[in-house]
Amino acid sequence: MPRSLYFFPAGFVFIFFVAACRPTHVDHPPGYLVAAIESYPLQLDPRYSTDANGVRIGNLIYNSLLRADPQSRLQPELAESLRLLDERTYDIELRRDVTFHNGQPLTAADVKFTYESILDPNNRSPKRGNLRPLRAVEQIGPYQLRFHLFAAHSPFIEQLTIGIVPVASAVNPTAPGQVPPGSGPFMLEAAESGEKITLTRNPHYWEESPPLSGVVFRTVPDALVRVLEFKKGNIDLMQNDIEPDMVPWLEKNIGADVGAYPGTTFQYIGINLMHPILKQVKVRRALAYAIDRESLVRHILKGTGTVAAGVLSPLNWAYEDNVEHWPYDPERAKQLLDEAGFPDPDGDGPLPRFRLSFKTTNIDLRQRIAEAIKEQLERVGIELDIRSYEWAAFYSDIKKGSFHLYSLAWVGILDPDILFQLFHSSSVPPAGDNRGRYANPELDRLLEAGRATTNHEVRRQIYARAQRILAEDLPYVPLWWWKNVVVKKSTVQNFIPYPDGEMISLKKARLATTVP
Amino acid sequence: MKRYLLYRAALLLPTIFGVLTLVFLLIHLIPGDPVDIMLGETASAADRQELRQVLGLNQPLLVQYRSFIINLLRGDLGQSLYERRSVTSIVRARYPATLELALCAMIAALVISFPLAVCAAVRRGSWTDRTTLTVSLLGLSMPNFWLGPLAMIIFSIQLGWLPVSGRGGPDHLVLPALTLGLGMAAILIRILRTNLLRVMSEDYVQTARAKGLSERSVWLKHALRNALLSLVTIVSLQFGGLLAGSLITETIFSWPGLGRMTVQAIEMRDYPLVQGCVLVISLSYVFLNFVTDIIYKWVDPRISYGN
Amino acid sequence: MLLFASAALFAPVLSPYNPLSQNLDQDLITHSAQHLLGTDKLGRDILSRIIFGARISLLVGASTVALSLLIGVGVGSISGYAGGFVDLLLMRLIDILMAFPGILLAIAFSAVLGPGLDHVIVALALIGWTNYARLVRGEILSLRERDFVHAARALGCRPTRVIVLHLLPNLLPPLLIQATFGVAAAIVAEGSLSFLGLGVAPPTASWGSMLNEGRQFLLVAPHLTTYPGIALVLTVLALNLVGDALQDRLERRIR
Repeated sequence: MPRSLYFFPAGFVFIFFVAACRPTHVDHPPGYLVAAIESYPLQLDPRYSTDANGVRIGNLIYNSLLRADPQSRLQPELAESLRLLDERTYDIELRRDVTFHNGQPLTAADVKFTYESILDPNNRSPKRGNLRPLRAVEQIGPYQLRFHLFAAHSPFIEQLTIGIVPVASAVNPTAPGQVPPGSGPFMLEAAESGEKITLTRNPHYWEESPPLSGVVFRTVPDALVRVLEFKKGNIDLMQNDIEPDMVPWLEKNIGADVGAYPGTTFQYIGINLMHPILKQVKVRRALAYAIDRESLVRHILKGTGTVAAGVLSPLNWAYEDNVEHWPYDPERAKQLLDEAGFPDPDGDGPLPRFRLSFKTTNIDLRQRIAEAIKEQLERVGIELDIRSYEWAAFYSDIKKGSFHLYSLAWVGILDPDILFQLFHSSSVPPAGDNRGRYANPELDRLLEAGRATTNHEVRRQIYARAQRILAEDLPYVPLWWWKNVVVKKSTVQNFIPYPDGEMISLKKARLATTVP
Repeated sequence: MKRYLLYRAALLLPTIFGVLTLVFLLIHLIPGDPVDIMLGETASAADRQELRQVLGLNQPLLVQYRSFIINLLRGDLGQSLYERRSVTSIVRARYPATLELALCAMIAALVISFPLAVCAAVRRGSWTDRTTLTVSLLGLSMPNFWLGPLAMIIFSIQLGWLPVSGRGGPDHLVLPALTLGLGMAAILIRILRTNLLRVMSEDYVQTARAKGLSERSVWLKHALRNALLSLVTIVSLQFGGLLAGSLITETIFSWPGLGRMTVQAIEMRDYPLVQGCVLVISLSYVFLNFVTDIIYKWVDPRISYGN
Repeated sequence: MLLFASAALFAPVLSPYNPLSQNLDQDLITHSAQHLLGTDKLGRDILSRIIFGARISLLVGASTVALSLLIGVGVGSISGYAGGFVDLLLMRLIDILMAFPGILLAIAFSAVLGPGLDHVIVALALIGWTNYARLVRGEILSLRERDFVHAARALGCRPTRVIVLHLLPNLLPPLLIQATFGVAAAIVAEGSLSFLGLGVAPPTASWGSMLNEGRQFLLVAPHLTTYPGIALVLTVLALNLVGDALQDRLERRIR
């Protein structure tokens, strides 16, 4: 035994050197693009997936009737034509040249099955609530079907972006990584839990077959480590979730292709309108004047955002620019607060006019933003008490309405009908997301009309008015629209960024062979 | 001996049972509703109620607890609320990774600490002793989430010797195992050194020396053997800490292990998954303790155990 | 050497009494040389934050250990002294807690109690008291049958008196040693909690939370982590060395 003790350090050193001498192996097949994601997708089956990465990767495996393009407009994908027979019936003709990855042709029966599968309460799909306006799906012919709604509901068209699975697909996976076959540009090759998802090209794709041999989605949870892996060359592409200060560094130090593109993700401050102080519109306007959004975007976001006027970003077809913008004006803010009946008790001294709590999640960037806002509000005499929580507790609190102010973001905004979900008086949780309990009868009428008509121009005017009202009344203080930041090697070509971080353009992307 | 074995084994059961009860209570009592998180925004109250019913979440806590225990005894850990697969299959996929990491960290810690502790004890009070202690403490005092990326930058980026993160061949293990194990190494060095010194001043060692045995064989025969015993106990105690504390290292090094998954599951209130993960981690710890107790008793029957 | 190191680091606790502006100089600049150690992402002076952070970190360390000791000594002495069924029960409890992953406890507490310095201390204390309990129990078990204890009981002292006046003083040396290490461990553990987002709430700074905030900037602004890191490492080192020295000295006395 005694002698063997000396083997220990020797053995260890030996292993170390062996490891050091071995070349760091490239852990993906050639021709595959490696993208980094910050968390492993929970669910790829399009009937159930709600987590961002699950949806994005799912969109490469599955096709849907319609698909949003880089300008946030819905375009036909599987649907060759879409007609409104009347205001509650959608008639759809499918393409005839689509096959699933297992060779089966995609027909109307598959579409019908997919939607009924979601509607079936036994399958407990989280998307079932979205399909509430849908009464029935009727198959007219092998490639023709009709969606029957209960009543006119123009936002329903957004639900036609759900991926389609074959008839008789299992409700739940019976083995890890098992999902129903799709018809999309890529097929699922392997799913290593917590580690990576490997997709391989679909050679029989009905559009042209993707130039890439495949895509590997590597899970790298820590943002800094993602940057290091990128620097080491192990990653070809990553989108968002990068510390804003690292973005210029990446550009300068690695020669990466860095781009910040307009996005639709909307960051805002939610206000509890039942609060005695916050229910006064002058106070809310004072908040808007007091927060220097330009400065926040410039310094903390390092330009990866655009100061926002409202929920809908300029990319949205219903965006209305002619609304009240609230420039940074702390003097005006103080004035409004005085008018509202909250004078500063000691002028410029340390005593605040009043105190409010500000709830946030415990992510570093969010906390930093909260601290900066706190400082800005202090200058006009409002004291902010920052409370940071872990996500589930935070979410539970704000749904209950137990908050004064909080900050959060809305992702994936397509149809302006989201305003109904956010601001209609009936949308108080759990029925919707009107967490601040905003109630404005005029807005209510507008939003109800907006979803009842299918006339595009009428809707646009309705929502223009709605946005004007919201910008004046400020149930939210809008902060900014996040830009979509894409970092990639220069060998990655043809990758078109989508506003909400979608990866769909990987089907057209290619990896140029580098000249060493 | 056999009686002791049975006695210890019998004690295992209430411990495990207690752990399960505790995790059940905790996860159900903390605020945050998995149904809300799962269904998100658009579900109606009716939908939520329905889902709660399907998942059995609307039953009184006691009833849920009872079915939890009954299922457990049948070997059914339930289904993950999000991934919709059996918890057993998920845990089985991830557990080996954590085990691999923890074991390697342990080995690394042992390999580093043993010779250093011996050196320090032999040359007690000298500069070697002091510097060894101080340097070893560095590993303990630097938080993993700082040490890890620093090590990555130095060894992976600048020197290019090792990969940055992820699980793969043995070279992928080096940095994470070292990061995780250094802290433990510091503790081990200190304890080993103290024990060695203590043993060295014991009477029977003095007698051995007086009898004329060489210093070296005194060391080897007596001191080290006793030190090894205490090592076994300490190691088993610390291993539990390793398993639980691997979370940070797993996150930093993109290691697909159970620690990270546990935290994610907690954040999303995926009750069955949390229960499954905690069960596995605690079971490992309890089992390991059990084994070391047996080894300890077997190796050194002098030590009596018990009330 | 050891005593000097620890004294040097307890000194910073004294200096925050002069109002070195913790006040968020919100120039939003990182790293400039007019601030001695630079500024952080929100333009706050790092030196001041480190000094104030010393208060927080040391406060967390000390209070956590104090609370842990309170619980641990209490449970351990009851368990050791009473023996029998009570002992069995309490030891099971301790086993259960030790087998339980600490993070889950920490997250659970944070979720229930919400943010706040005191909650951090409670959470850390509740994870750490078992070590002291075991130690106390072990010692009491071995001391229980000694003559002086029998004598005290024969004199009719109530059990609590026996424990507090006679048994505990014997425990002081090992407890003190463990406590020193415990403070160091608590300071580092607070950093880990910050990593999970469960540490001290903004804008309060502790060294651990500064390390966590700064780690994303490791490549662009390493000074955000280097200085608090050095402070943390030096303090923990000093604490550990003090503990070691205590151990050496006190052990020698016992022998």
